[in-house]
Amino acid sequence: MLHVFTLFLAVVLALPLVAEAQKPIKVGMPMPLSGPPALFGEPASKGAQMFVEELNAKGGVLGRKVELLIRDSKADANEAVRVARELILKENVDFLVGTLTSAEGPAVSVVAKENKIVFIAPIPKTDQLTAPDKLHPYVFRVAATTTMEGRSAAEIVAKWPVTKVATISFDYAYGQDVTKAFIEHLKKIKPSVEIVDQQWPKLGEQDYNPFINAQMAKKPEAIFSSIWGGFFVTYSKQAKALGVFDAIKYNFIGVGEAATPETTKSMGADYPVGIWGNSYDAFYWGETAAHRDYTARLSKYLKDEYPSSWAVQGYIGMQFLTEAIKKANSADSDKVAKALLGLAVETPVGPLTIREKDHQANRGQLYGKTVKDPKYPFAIMKPVTYVDPSKFMD
Amino acid sequence: MTLRGLAALVVFAAALAVPALGSRFYTFLANDVIIWALFATSLNLLVGYTGLVSFGHAAYFGVGAYVTGILMKKLALPFVLAWPAAGVFGAACALLFGFFCVRLTRIYFAMLTLAFAQIVWAICFKWNELTGGEQGMPEIPYPDFGWLERLGASVPLLGWRTAEYFYFLTVVLVAVCLWVLHRIVTSPFGRMLTTIRENAERAEFIGVNVRRYELAAFVLAGAFAGLAGGLFGIFNRGVFPDFAYWTKSSEVLIMTLLGGMGTFFGPSIGALVLILLNQQIVSYTEYWPLVLGTVLVVLLFGFPGGIAGAIGALSGRVFRRVRSA
Amino acid sequence: MPDASFVFAQSLSGLTAAMFLFLIASGLSLIFGVLRVLNFAHGTFYMLGAYLAYQSMLWLGPGPGRFWLAALGAALGIALLGGVVERVLFRHLYGKEELYQLLFTYALGLILSDAAKIFWGTQQKSVSRPPELSGSFTLFGATIPQYNLFIIMLGPAIALAFWFVLQRTRAGRFIRAAALDRETLGALGVNVDRLYTGVFMLASFLGGLGGALISPMRATTPGMDTEVIVEAFVVVVIGGLGSLWGTFLGAVVYGQVLSFGILFFPRFSIFAVFALMAAVLIIRPWGLLGRPLR
Repeated sequence: MLHVFTLFLAVVLALPLVAEAQKPIKVGMPMPLSGPPALFGEPASKGAQMFVEELNAKGGVLGRKVELLIRDSKADANEAVRVARELILKENVDFLVGTLTSAEGPAVSVVAKENKIVFIAPIPKTDQLTAPDKLHPYVFRVAATTTMEGRSAAEIVAKWPVTKVATISFDYAYGQDVTKAFIEHLKKIKPSVEIVDQQWPKLGEQDYNPFINAQMAKKPEAIFSSIWGGFFVTYSKQAKALGVFDAIKYNFIGVGEAATPETTKSMGADYPVGIWGNSYDAFYWGETAAHRDYTARLSKYLKDEYPSSWAVQGYIGMQFLTEAIKKANSADSDKVAKALLGLAVETPVGPLTIREKDHQANRGQLYGKTVKDPKYPFAIMKPVTYVDPSKFMD
Repeated sequence: MTLRGLAALVVFAAALAVPALGSRFYTFLANDVIIWALFATSLNLLVGYTGLVSFGHAAYFGVGAYVTGILMKKLALPFVLAWPAAGVFGAACALLFGFFCVRLTRIYFAMLTLAFAQIVWAICFKWNELTGGEQGMPEIPYPDFGWLERLGASVPLLGWRTAEYFYFLTVVLVAVCLWVLHRIVTSPFGRMLTTIRENAERAEFIGVNVRRYELAAFVLAGAFAGLAGGLFGIFNRGVFPDFAYWTKSSEVLIMTLLGGMGTFFGPSIGALVLILLNQQIVSYTEYWPLVLGTVLVVLLFGFPGGIAGAIGALSGRVFRRVRSA
Repeated sequence: MPDASFVFAQSLSGLTAAMFLFLIASGLSLIFGVLRVLNFAHGTFYMLGAYLAYQSMLWLGPGPGRFWLAALGAALGIALLGGVVERVLFRHLYGKEELYQLLFTYALGLILSDAAKIFWGTQQKSVSRPPELSGSFTLFGATIPQYNLFIIMLGPAIALAFWFVLQRTRAGRFIRAAALDRETLGALGVNVDRLYTGVFMLASFLGGLGGALISPMRATTPGMDTEVIVEAFVVVVIGGLGSLWGTFLGAVVYGQVLSFGILFFPRFSIFAVFALMAAVLIIRPWGLLGRPLR
């Protein structure tokens, strides 16, 4: 009888300990789930969700399950700050992985710093997020930066037989930074280039006609655009109607992921096939076995034959966090933040490393000229090349 | 002391006690509610007391937030100067805009307030150098609580963090503002505003300069909205252009109507209910607008007096029944 | 110095935007003129029009002329929705304070736009330009898409049809009378309730049509309603609340200011539009072509 009682006592006493060990690790994800940016935000959150489900099926990390709390940030800095603080104060999340726009990222970074919580940004690109004066021990980025993206695009445009180049970008951090990086690098590697026009519509502009007319009046031979997400659909529909792509002989490069499969898919026959664009991922890339395997799983998870290219960013963000927790052997933000420095991870797109210097991963992107492929009912990039940004990072 | 004054004191004491619950989240929520209560009450001075429906009240809230934010972040001015400046700038903008607005009636008045608010928003949204543009201005510093923290180090009960100190500060400042607003509406000036709302022609007839009274109310409302904005920017840890966007104006209008514009504390109740409701709903569903819309429709058809009106009617009925029994 | 063909192209862009806005704003103005209510839900009707057009395209499948069928179907669907809303709910708010009517339309907008999100999700929808009008031609050195020209011609056509109905038909006379004095009209034996439902349906039709016709030019996404409603407000205020030709003029002014604004003050063209609205309200509160309200 006595040992039964002892056993009972032991179980009762041990319960809180077990409960502590099995309490899930909570990760908060502010991500735009409405408005045009939801085109990217929703699949990114799905990618993170898939990673978490797969991880939990294998027993989680450090014996604890991971719980992902996704909240709509509405692609609005104010709203992103609000949900991030709620996630921290109300839901007691241990980490933040998320945000999409270059306004949301830096704003949430401040919240992470104040609450001493690791924040991994999977999508915002503005250089300002990890600039020396904004960097703090808790912010990390697994997205490309505006410097990396702008310079990669400049390398491509430099090879075109053009000298008169125009740009069109939204008038805010991302648009300004990526355009500046593009122009500076292009002028460096091809000094004969002349920037004949720059248009700055406001973020979320619906009517691009006046901007397009003003731009075409300057007779550019090539156009660099960083109109992103659902906005590119609107822009390119109007540009196509006004004959922009024919006039510049398809010497057009759309960064900000203008060539993602989901964009070409949603536009179908309206897509200006022949332009250059980039993407974080493409289901048809299939460079490595790891990527093919990831794509197959994602396709099943999303029940989509042509799964989104954005899922991979949420996936990689969660992957880095999990690996860092493993390496730190703790879910303590200070320890995980240290573990993230210099951490190398095998991701579906290949090995990536977060630099100690600026907390920035060497995340490149896929670039290519869009063509029609009889295999698919929409345009794809062909040949599609992964541009390693390592040489562009400083 | 009246019963009402006693109730206000109790609410004030209860608000001060919130951080003692030990949850940082409750303090966060209470802080949010209290600032919005001031914002909504300032609007009620126009809508409820003077009968002027403003669609652009967020303009003054936004101006106040940017003024305090810019002064504290870029010029490193102390809070004691930066916060009153929010009220001054709010009032100045309200004077400038109000001068034109009060010349118009009803829908035209509402439309002009909207136009001015959108102008303020456009400036905040596009003037990147001053306001940070679309990205806003993150990292507004907290007021300096150094002396309190030093005190907290020696007095064990006071071991709060900056966020809690800011909360106490907010409670006290908003209480003072609400007290002043209450004095205003119960003064002869306030009663004249009500007379104007009831019958502007008659007020004009007995020799009252209606426009001047309306403008004074507009400026006062702008000043207090500016003060609320100044606090909110710090609380929110950043100032963003959508503080002045028309959807913010409609939010505060809804709070005022939901709580009940017929009473002084109605808008505060509206702020409390709307924010708590939002908190509960967004944990379960992303369809908050659907819920809010439905609540509004129910309110409109069921309780046109708002929550405060409904409570008043209910308590009146109970009271009568008790009496007649 | 910008050359002539560019100025021409720019003014046509402005006109295209203006005529889209006219379609939407004319409905808003009509409801205000007759029912004396600013209908915040009008932007949502416009958004639903775009979604319904997209959905009808899917249902219709490939075939000639399907875009036009889809657009018409969408506009009729929205008209029906407007009629139902007016009959079941809005009717009960006549005679109540303006503020409550306004709040109701706002709440309705919230509910309907979230309902659209439930049905169509957050991913954008894209509709192709109708093949009949997918080309473009060159005039005075400017490239003009056929579809844009169609919209530019549709605007005045609708305005004229509208004007004809208002001035030359019995229903139109009643509508004009209702705008001036509801009680007397009721006393004369006119079924004012039915008239109001009709007006609401017609206005909703125009909003829905605007949304359906804009879908080939823009991506259809949640949130397009809150953007357009403020633009439509600006247009009706500039032109004059409740005035048909005022709304037309307001739309044209708005389009041109936006088009040419980006040349002179590229970063503050949105500012210019609201400044114009404020200026009109200050100088002539009833708008360029409106009449002062009692």
